[in-house]
Amino acid sequence: MRRDAAPIDKQRDETEHPFPHPRDVLDNVPRLFQDRPMGESVVDTWFVREVLAHEQALTRFLHRNWRDHDEVGDLRQEIYVRVYEAAMRQPPDSPKSFLFATARNLLADRVRRQRIVSITAVGDLEQLNVLQDELEPSRWLGGREALTRLARALDRLPDRCREVVWLRRVEDLPQKEIARRLGISEKTVEKHIAKGSRMMADHFHGELEAGAMRDKTRGALARIRKPT
Amino acid sequence: MTDDHREIERIASMWLARRDAGGWSERQQIALDAWLGEAVAHRVAFLRLEAAWEEAARLKTFAAGDTGGHIPARGEWARSPYFASSTGSDDVVAGRGRIRHTTASPHRHWSLFAGIAASLLVVIVIAGGLAWRDYTHVERDAWRTLLGAQQVVQLPDGSTATLGSDTGLRMSFSRSERDLDLAQGEAFFDVAHDAARPFVVQAEGYRVTAVGTRFDVRRAPDEKLRVVVTRGLVRLQSMRDPEEAATMLPAGSIATIAGGNLLVQHLAVDEARERLSWRGGYAVFHGTPLADAVEEFNRYNPHKIVIADPSLDALRVGGHFRLDNSAAFVRLVQAVFPVQAEQRGDRIVLLRRAAGKAAD
Repeated sequence: MRRDAAPIDKQRDETEHPFPHPRDVLDNVPRLFQDRPMGESVVDTWFVREVLAHEQALTRFLHRNWRDHDEVGDLRQEIYVRVYEAAMRQPPDSPKSFLFATARNLLADRVRRQRIVSITAVGDLEQLNVLQDELEPSRWLGGREALTRLARALDRLPDRCREVVWLRRVEDLPQKEIARRLGISEKTVEKHIAKGSRMMADHFHGELEAGAMRDKTRGALARIRKPT
Repeated sequence: MTDDHREIERIASMWLARRDAGGWSERQQIALDAWLGEAVAHRVAFLRLEAAWEEAARLKTFAAGDTGGHIPARGEWARSPYFASSTGSDDVVAGRGRIRHTTASPHRHWSLFAGIAASLLVVIVIAGGLAWRDYTHVERDAWRTLLGAQQVVQLPDGSTATLGSDTGLRMSFSRSERDLDLAQGEAFFDVAHDAARPFVVQAEGYRVTAVGTRFDVRRAPDEKLRVVVTRGLVRLQSMRDPEEAATMLPAGSIATIAGGNLLVQHLAVDEARERLSWRGGYAVFHGTPLADAVEEFNRYNPHKIVIADPSLDALRVGGHFRLDNSAAFVRLVQAVFPVQAEQRGDRIVLLRRAAGKAAD
């Protein structure tokens, strides 16, 4: 990743804001992509609604089936890339099954590459195909559920960051005004927003619920024999 | 091959925050489009942040009717009218009291004055009481996991505790201290930084204190205690003997206490982290004595493995194993070592195999 890819400094150019922020409480379905031009935006919308909505289940699946939890973020990203690329060619009929099939393939690839050859014992590979317990209603449909998750996500931000996110997203104060009110620089406000958006995304999309680690779908990936 | 997702996310979040700052120019939009077009990984990372960020506006539901500037305290959501079950407000009660006084008494002026004084007193007492309650308020909770189960618990300060098999944990958080009591089993803590409130886990007569770190505490049979630190610094202090100097454990430390003796190993952090692979349902062994490996499985399975021949204790095992599949472990041990397993009731007994007999 190149550092010079970071945002260029803002100019005081009063062109119309290309992505107006919704000023009202959103409907259950996020409206954010509706104003985009066709093309990639169709896949974007599809991706947000049909794929991201399953991030919690996906994260749980990865935690259960991959022993190095620190790698889960990287795995998830690679799975998203594969799914997105496939959808640009042809959106799959069943996004959820496609997402998990992609995840399984990626894990299997990784294991093969790792070549764990000491005594490596795990459960049954076939069980990976059983994912009924992952089937839950899409998050976008449950308004109250989404709100609970948002509230919890917000509560997990550090104090100052939480204040900034609240003032920006709920009270709709411009960043400049937040800086003035909290007596901090605009740059600092921007940093809090950046950090807040990352943490909110982690907790909102992918938060692991209690007791998620072990259920019927026992993980069983690494049972690999050396190729004969 | 893969860029580190954190780095991509970091840059994506900078774009999002910059755009959010306003004064967004055409030129900036072109630059953002270029970055998004550079790699699909950039695009999905940005979409993911943007979706959650936009969703966050729904929190306005909680602010409905609230005048600007009030940021709800953590957890205040539960009392929000949105989630019903709101309790009556105390000032309303005080207000009613005053109205009753002013209308019912024949000595209007005097009683009006008395009423106001009384209601003021009521308000002061209630306010003081509320303040005191906030000040001395202690949040308590407790969790228990079953054999073979795990549970991730969000603590009210933003820390998380991952409970292992057959574990009991009690919490009592006050303004000055975050106390946890590990009644049994094992738990991994990812501690939210709060210098003003030490995070203390008590177990086996020891206090394990942290301020913003990651560590694991395990109680084992025979009053053994193990502490593994994977980030930050942890302070280990005996409660039975306050004279005893505290031991500081930096990241990578594994402290084992047995029979009042303390052994500290310093390993690379990655190596120390392997001891915590139980969180993914795995055990990772590298030249681990068979006795220790067996103990690991017995934490997770109702069918206990027993080593009947002490000469087997010292056999060394390595590899990755599912903790819930002790049968596979036993099979492999039989295949590799001169060991024979016998099922006796709900126990699996490991014996030394007689010479000359091969494994099947």
